[in-house]
Amino acid sequence: MPPQYIPVLIFAVLAAAFPAVTLLIFALIRPSTGAIGAKLKPYECGIAPEGDARGRYSVRFYIVAILFVIFDVETVFLFPWAVDYRLLGIYGLISMFVFLGILIVGYVWLYRKGALEWV
Amino acid sequence: MTNEILFYFFAGLAVLGGVLVVTMRNAVHSAVFLITTLLATAGLYLTLNAEFLFVVQIILYVGGIMVLFVFVIMLVNLDVALHQVQFNRQTWVAGLLSFALLAELLAAVALARSYGEENWLFAAPHVPTVTAEGNTEQIGRLLFQNYVIPFEIASILLLVALVGAVVMGKKRI
Amino acid sequence: MIPTSHYLVVSLLLFTTGVIGVLTRRNVIIVLMSIELILNAVNINLVAFSQHLASLDGQIFAIFVITDAAAEAAVGLGIIIAFFRNRQTLLADEMDLLRW
Repeated sequence: MPPQYIPVLIFAVLAAAFPAVTLLIFALIRPSTGAIGAKLKPYECGIAPEGDARGRYSVRFYIVAILFVIFDVETVFLFPWAVDYRLLGIYGLISMFVFLGILIVGYVWLYRKGALEWV
Repeated sequence: MTNEILFYFFAGLAVLGGVLVVTMRNAVHSAVFLITTLLATAGLYLTLNAEFLFVVQIILYVGGIMVLFVFVIMLVNLDVALHQVQFNRQTWVAGLLSFALLAELLAAVALARSYGEENWLFAAPHVPTVTAEGNTEQIGRLLFQNYVIPFEIASILLLVALVGAVVMGKKRI
Repeated sequence: MIPTSHYLVVSLLLFTTGVIGVLTRRNVIIVLMSIELILNAVNINLVAFSQHLASLDGQIFAIFVITDAAAEAAVGLGIIIAFFRNRQTLLADEMDLLRW
C-alpha cells in the first residue's frame, strides 16, 4: 500500500469503530426495561406508522438510477482525461467529445421519448 | 509488514463476504455482503498500488452498481420469496463440480511452481519503477494513447445498455 | 512483498464462490450478484498480474471490465423487472416458457 494512504486507513478504522462503540456503550449503560406495545413501534413524529417500510417502489426510480450509473461511468473516464489534459492536447479533446457525443445521443433519445417525465 | 497484515485482512473479508452473498436467504442481506466484498477488493487494489482502480471500485461499483441492485430489490420486493426454497435441485451436483473446478485451478497454480524460471509466480512481484507522475496520470496517458478505440466502443456499449435498460424497464415507450 | 500467487488464490476462491452461486441459487437477483463476484475475481487477477509484470495494461482492462459490469447490471436488472412484471416471480427455474 502506498504510504500516503495510512491516514485514509486510520480514518476508515475510526469511522467503522464509532457506531460500534456507541452502540456498545449504550447497550451497557441503558436500563433494561421490558418495552411492550406502542413503545416498540418506530417513531414517526408522533403519528401512528402507516404501511411497511419495505414496500414496493415505483419503477421510475429505476430509470433515474440507470441514468446515474451510466453517467457515473462517464465521470470515471473523464477523470484521468482531466488529469492528463495538457499532455493529450487537442487529440484527447476530440476523442473525449466523441465519447460524450455518443452518450448524449442516448440522453436526447431518452428525453424525447419522455422517459424522464415524472408522470 | 503492514502490507501483509492488510492483505490477509482484506482477502479474508472478501472471501467471507463472497460466501455470505451466496448463502444468505434475503436478497438485501446478500447485497450488503456483496458491498463488503467489493470494499475489501478495493483494499486489495490498494495493496497492489492501483490507486485509481481503488477509487473507481468505490465510486462505480459500490456507489453505482450496488445502488442499482438495491433499487431493484426494493422494486421487486416479495415477502413470499423469503419462504421459498432458495436452492436448486441440482445443488449437490453443482457444488461438487464447483469444488472440482476449484481443486483444478489450485492445482494449476501449484504446478506453476515447477515450471518456468526461478519460481516466477511465487517470487515477489516486480515493483514498478517509481516515477514522478501518479497512477492516475499514467492510466490516463495509456488510456488515451493506446486504448482510444476500446474507449470509444465502451461509450457505444453504455449507449446500448441505457437504451436496453429503459426499454426493458418501462411499461410502454 | 506479497507473492502474486496469493492474489491468485484469493481470486480463485471468489471465482468459485460466484460459480456456486450462479449454479445453485434460484433467486435471479442473487444469481446476478454472483456474476458480479466472478467479474470481481477476474479484476483481482488482472490487477495482480499488472503489478507482477510492471505494466499498467491490466489496470486499463480492469476499468473496462467494471464498465462492462455496469452495462450488464443495467440490462440484466431491466430484464428482471420485465420478467417480474409478467410472471410475478423471481425464481430462475420458473423461466421455462421455452423449455421442451
